[in-house]
Amino acid sequence: MITIPVFIGIIINIIKPESLPWAAEPILLIKNQKDLSVILSEPEIREIGLSVAFNLHNDGTLFVDAREEEYIKEGFITGAIYDDDIEGLAAKIDSLVGLDRPFVIYCSDDDCGSSEDLAYNLQDWGFTNILVFKGGWKMWTESGYQVQ
Amino acid sequence: MNKIHPVIVLCMRVVLGIVFLVASYQKILDPQQFAREISNYHFIPLGLENVVAIILPWIEVFIGLGLILGIMIDGSSLISGVLLIMFNLLVIQAMIRGFNIECGCGLKEGQMVGWQKLMENMTLLITSYIIFNQKNRSFQLLPKTSLSE
Repeated sequence: MITIPVFIGIIINIIKPESLPWAAEPILLIKNQKDLSVILSEPEIREIGLSVAFNLHNDGTLFVDAREEEYIKEGFITGAIYDDDIEGLAAKIDSLVGLDRPFVIYCSDDDCGSSEDLAYNLQDWGFTNILVFKGGWKMWTESGYQVQ
Repeated sequence: MNKIHPVIVLCMRVVLGIVFLVASYQKILDPQQFAREISNYHFIPLGLENVVAIILPWIEVFIGLGLILGIMIDGSSLISGVLLIMFNLLVIQAMIRGFNIECGCGLKEGQMVGWQKLMENMTLLITSYIIFNQKNRSFQLLPKTSLSE
């Protein structure tokens, strides 16, 4: 009962063109802002911490809020954009920074996951340089940084 | 347990089977997304969420087909019960740790972990238990024989 589906799952993953690696690779954590200047050879999603996020925010990097609208109404990082509709959001980001310049996505906290989901969705829309701020809204507000 | 009319048990099998088939569909189409949703639970170590994402949806397909078509009903209902207990444990640990994450169940987009998900899983778990316990069954493509007992 278990053996056959396990076998089918493995075989299908082996033969299909975009197979999933057997072990998940963690998203690369950027600890130093200088590492962001490395030219990417392929589209990449990378993770940043609070200090890098703060510096990027000061430099005017675009921030994208991945939380639900009910949370965004209570406040968001100054200047961040949001849109429930992925097509509308992709068009906004494209018009603001283009496909290849970095921008930051955040959600509520370390464990929310929606920033990563949105990052992968936007990568499918052609964006090549996406940064995920894992600490998100919680870490940002706890540090007393600018919100609106 | 009191005997339940075989037609009612058949309806329960079909409903539970459809739930598992529907749940597996999106996971099979996009295992990468499913692996990320598993990863959000921060429970499975060593990057093994990919292996789970590759295999689990096909187990769900076999459970669904088994329940609907009446093939290895005991096995299907037993495994569905075990899976539902595991899903509930995952949801409970996520709730305790305060994770505000999507459940990754494949049934409703954007459904978050929480009491509603827990209750849904409990209902399905009770359904699995009833199906497993009711041995007077209607419509079985491959019924149990004395040899398979």
